[in-house]
Amino acid sequence: MKVAVPRMGNLPFIVRDLAYRFDFDFMETPPFTEKTMETGAALSPEFACLPLKAVLGSFVEMLDAGVDTLVMGGGHGPCRFGYYGEIQRRILEREGYQFEMYVLDPPSVSLSAFYRGIRSIIPASRVPLARLARELSNVMSKVVVFDTLEKWAMALRGLEAEKGSVNAALDEAREIVGAAFTRSEIKRARAEAQERFSLVRLDRERQHLTIGLVGEIFVVLEPFFNFDIDRWLGKRGVVVERCVNIADTVYPGGRNPVFGYTEHAVARAAQPYLSHEVGGDGLKSVGATAMFARRGFDAVVHFLPFTCMPEVIAKGVLGRVSSELDFPVLSLSIDEQTGKAGVETRLEALLDLACSKRGKRVTAGVPVVRIEGGWQVGNGS
Amino acid sequence: MRVGIPRALLYHHYGDCWLEFLEGIGAEPVLSEPTTGDIITDGATRADNETCLPVKVFSGHILSLKDDVDAILVPRVVSQGHGRCSCPKFLGLPDLARTLDPQLPAIVAPKMDICDPWSLWAREWYHTARTLGAGRARSAAAVRRLLRSLGRLEQGAEEGASAPSDITIGVAGHLYNVHDERVSLGLLDRLKAMGARPVTVDEVDPAEVLRQADSLPRKVFWGFESRLAGAVLHWSRTGAVSGILFVTSFACGPGSIVGALLEDQLRREGSVPIMTITLDEHAAEAGLVTRLEAFVDMLRHAARTRKRTGLVAP
Repeated sequence: MKVAVPRMGNLPFIVRDLAYRFDFDFMETPPFTEKTMETGAALSPEFACLPLKAVLGSFVEMLDAGVDTLVMGGGHGPCRFGYYGEIQRRILEREGYQFEMYVLDPPSVSLSAFYRGIRSIIPASRVPLARLARELSNVMSKVVVFDTLEKWAMALRGLEAEKGSVNAALDEAREIVGAAFTRSEIKRARAEAQERFSLVRLDRERQHLTIGLVGEIFVVLEPFFNFDIDRWLGKRGVVVERCVNIADTVYPGGRNPVFGYTEHAVARAAQPYLSHEVGGDGLKSVGATAMFARRGFDAVVHFLPFTCMPEVIAKGVLGRVSSELDFPVLSLSIDEQTGKAGVETRLEALLDLACSKRGKRVTAGVPVVRIEGGWQVGNGS
Repeated sequence: MRVGIPRALLYHHYGDCWLEFLEGIGAEPVLSEPTTGDIITDGATRADNETCLPVKVFSGHILSLKDDVDAILVPRVVSQGHGRCSCPKFLGLPDLARTLDPQLPAIVAPKMDICDPWSLWAREWYHTARTLGAGRARSAAAVRRLLRSLGRLEQGAEEGASAPSDITIGVAGHLYNVHDERVSLGLLDRLKAMGARPVTVDEVDPAEVLRQADSLPRKVFWGFESRLAGAVLHWSRTGAVSGILFVTSFACGPGSIVGALLEDQLRREGSVPIMTITLDEHAAEAGLVTRLEAFVDMLRHAARTRKRTGLVAP
């Protein structure tokens, strides 16, 4: 059995970790390319959204390379994501591939279905329940650390005195954390990673813009589809904060340990504009935008895959948020045809707009503050 | 008090119940006019450009009501059946409506969550009735009547009897597309004019639909789409129709998934032919008519061939 999972943000690190813990054979998901998208788009239903096409394309690549087990996330609506696995299985079977496909429903849908899903990949005969629970909880804390590293990198990149020093720190920190497995090791690795980040020389005097990233998790996290926006903005001296992370999505209880605001707080911030859950990350996009505006950010960039149902609603509502709060929001809808130049031009225009808006205000921008557990954007109001 | 109801989207499912509710509380219901080209254009220009056609049509209807009413009723339909959820567009519909125009009259958005066994959402309808100016007893009575009429709706519609015909075509599409003359470009009438008998999803027995939908390996979690999938499987497995038209609208999210699912399922089962028709605001009649004619001709041809070769029609 050789397992393949889709690629998204920090997921490759996490899968490597899981494979080491539970000792299964897996294939490193290759990065997305033009070719992947072409294959995926050719096989998928026309109006399916981008993540389905992208993941299908990379499944085809991995099946061609000898993988025989596909693992895909599930869900129970209203976002289409919950049905991706089934559609992809049908399409790949039609194309004549031989494979097993497991659709893992998250525990929020049904704990028993989640457990059965896990057990079909990691049998009880090999890993007893107590160990499974312990290891999964360790993986969870590692996921949180991985996402926190990115959060620090995005906050500091815009202020670095030497270009590339944050990226170097991030790579090293990832290696440090990647080698940690037990609870205490992960804790120590996090402290070490923080040490490593604190070596980065910062230009504290620099005037910087602060931009919030919201949107659908796949396009916000995957650099191939958002044209590596966090690094692109960082290079231009922009401090970035992102409201969606893998850790926040899988962490039980809606606590959002990386973003730092609970689901409840986000829903409350969204309330005047969107007063009901719409599936996916739609409510979070609206709530986080309102929060970013309140915290004094300069603008928000909203990423969505073309025709994404929850985000299209968020996009409609964000227009109102933007005009009522007098706050720039740029919605970028991404599909397989989106070109880098078009996105960059619009981002540059947004930065210019934010700069000229800044000229009228007295504030010097949201500061990046060193706190006990790392760095944060703003004073934590 | 004049309360508007846009003749779009879920009006085609629950419209009668909503009208009855408004009459029950003594408000004057104002139904928007049937869809016209202007309404669609209006909606398409004002609504977000990426939303699906029905939401654009809905936006057009809201805008057309703007000057005539004191409030607009846009219920937030959270679920349309047990254990199923609605399309995200319905969940955010009142909020989307509010973004259309700052001068819109108040949008009242009571929740409707049919899968809630305790019907706790009925309380929101009571509050709605009270804010629209009805007394306590009257509001409570209207809410009770609403619950009863929705319950009757759940139990199902009667099979519509119509003229016998040599071919029957299952039209699988959202009721708000299929039953809207302008949006569907008169699809049902055109089929009738070609001598075919169209049957729609709402004419299939709900219990049977549920049973068929549950036979799929993975549950379709959208309420109406699972009904649609169940109806298509029922038609194809019982041989009740000679062909199926899957009618969807541009950028319909659930439609893209369920369409692919049904095409694949019917191909595996090797049953009746299925054709997908995508409606959008630019839909031209000639293109639709040509495809319908071709589809009907193909079905007739297949039926004749079967008769000649002595095979019994499925």
